Amino acid sequence: MNSRSISFRLVVWHAAISLLVCVGFGLYTYFGLSYFLQLAQTDTLQRRAHEVAAILEAHMGHEGEPYTIELIRTSYAPENNDRFIRIRRPDGSLLYVSGRPTDGAFDPAAVPLLTVPPAADPSRSITLGNLLLVQSSAVVNGRLFLLDCGESKLSNAQVLRGFLVMLGFGVPVFLLVVVAGGAVLVRQALKPVRQIIDAAKAITSSNLGQRLPVADTADEIEHLSVVLNEMIGRLEAALQHSQRFSADASHELRTPLTIMRVELESISQEPVMDTATREKIASILEETDRMGKMVEGLLAISRLDTGEAVVNVSRFDLSILVAATAEQIALLADEKHINVRCNAAGTVEVTGDRFRLQQVIVNLLDNAIKYSPTGGEILLNTRTTDREAVLEVIDSGPGIPPEALPHVFERFFRADSVRTHSVNGTGLGLSIVRSICLAHGGTVEAANLPAGGCRITVCLPLPPPTRAVAGRPQGF
Amino acid sequence: MRILLIEDDEKVARAVSTGLEAERFAVDWVSDGPEGLDTARLGTYDLLILDLMLPGLSGTELLKRLRKVNSDVPILILTARDAMSEKVANFEAGADDYLTKPFAFAELVVRVNALLRRGATKRANVIRIADLEIDRIHHQVQRNGTGIKLTSKEYSLLEYLALNAGRVLSRSMIVDHVWDQSFDGLTNIVDVYVRQLRSKIDEPFKQQLIHTVRGTGYYIGEQEL
Repeated sequence: MNSRSISFRLVVWHAAISLLVCVGFGLYTYFGLSYFLQLAQTDTLQRRAHEVAAILEAHMGHEGEPYTIELIRTSYAPENNDRFIRIRRPDGSLLYVSGRPTDGAFDPAAVPLLTVPPAADPSRSITLGNLLLVQSSAVVNGRLFLLDCGESKLSNAQVLRGFLVMLGFGVPVFLLVVVAGGAVLVRQALKPVRQIIDAAKAITSSNLGQRLPVADTADEIEHLSVVLNEMIGRLEAALQHSQRFSADASHELRTPLTIMRVELESISQEPVMDTATREKIASILEETDRMGKMVEGLLAISRLDTGEAVVNVSRFDLSILVAATAEQIALLADEKHINVRCNAAGTVEVTGDRFRLQQVIVNLLDNAIKYSPTGGEILLNTRTTDREAVLEVIDSGPGIPPEALPHVFERFFRADSVRTHSVNGTGLGLSIVRSICLAHGGTVEAANLPAGGCRITVCLPLPPPTRAVAGRPQGF
Repeated sequence: MRILLIEDDEKVARAVSTGLEAERFAVDWVSDGPEGLDTARLGTYDLLILDLMLPGLSGTELLKRLRKVNSDVPILILTARDAMSEKVANFEAGADDYLTKPFAFAELVVRVNALLRRGATKRANVIRIADLEIDRIHHQVQRNGTGIKLTSKEYSLLEYLALNAGRVLSRSMIVDHVWDQSFDGLTNIVDVYVRQLRSKIDEPFKQQLIHTVRGTGYYIGEQEL
């Protein structure tokens, strides 16, 4: 997973926050538990201290000290229960102190003799190491006996340890569940976003009519796709506008061009004219012609881009069309002693506008002849792959400068800007090729060959397989 | 020969009619649809040249209405709109030919002549220009009694020039006729083939028959125009 993707970051943040919450909650419950355990123990100790005091007050007077102490010992069994009981006489001497507890949490003899003022808060407990101590007093026959009641804290500590162990096992499992659940939720939540991404990737200038899927969820995602769709709509309108403009402009230019042509032709028919003027008129006529061709080319491109220009669709063998076209302009290559070879790997069936696809071959071949040196060679390869019909035009020219490669199919682009362009060049040949290929659902690419020369590859989708071919191509 | 020109653009109309008059046609010009329809109905014209975008009544509509009363007169459409569907619609409505702006005037003349000739005289099977003979049945060419071997493209080119002998043909016309429109991108193909043709037809002989009109095109003929 991409470490910068939203889903990855969301899951990480989610895990971090969950961990923090778990630790925080663990600490909170741990300290809370510890506090309430001590509070409960203090409470128990106080009640015990009162009971001991009550026993002292009830029995000391009549039955005497030994009996009372024995009674307390048997009642509380301090050693076995990890308890601490100490009674001091009013003169400060020890009346009784319990023995060592079985868990060894404290040494009874070492517990300091705290002097407690009579007014001391009886609810207060004192912690001495592992011993929790509560102080109390009893008044027997007007004499004040000081009482210390305590208990080992080890059992509470054990409870807390158990709790920690439980947290230690529970938190990772809990975190795992939370993170996994979070990841699933994030994926689920971002699924429409991925769908939008995929759909948006598939939309190019040739299929701007398509729209993104709109999930009917009334949330931000729906809002996003609606807004994006509106944007695509505006793009489509803008593109249509520019295409329409290009088409309209070409139309509008035709009438003035006609007038210029016809007027110039009629001037050139004038019998009385000096040679220089005649030359100038001829030159203007040639340029008018070129301008007319550019206008036609631009119109053709805008028609192709709007899908209006692919009309007479039929199914035919591209190899035959390539060979026939090459034959028809053979003399152009012959003039430069260029050898044109057609390598057809069997029948290469395509479905398309024959006229337009012939234009592709003508323009590519013209281009190849233009750039090949005298005595060079041009290869026209046709073949079928499992998905496409392929036409390759390989020339033996100097190739295309690498920085120019991405632009060769742009309108009016010339690979070398200083080249003196021929009178007939309009700079639109390769753009027309590209527009025709795109209009047929195909692609065209240019590449330089390591051995020199350049290769232009046209890929067209294969026609759907049919058993009985309905419309066999006419001719050939 | 009388020609009615229905065209709303004054400059185009003037240029076309001046040119056609120079070719010894009589040209009447009207500039809007309804008037055009009336004139075409009343007058006796040998040919109509019709623009499609007309004020008052569209060219296509005019064509349909006119064909109801006058089914014979050849009609040449002259327009800036060249969408295939539109061409088909107009041919169905009764147009005989279609010329897209911008056109070479030479092409207009050739088409006008072709329309006026259509169905009339059958053209000869052997065309003779000076000492050049073209046998259109056997596709054989000889000059001064010597047979000349031509490739099929060279023959088509020569035949097209010869059928319009004395008339300048533009490169586009030649490409469209001898090849087809998809070869329009490479007009110098015509120059190359004409050069080749000249080397076979003209160079071995004294008199030059194939002439170049710079900026316009080529023609074949005994005299310089």
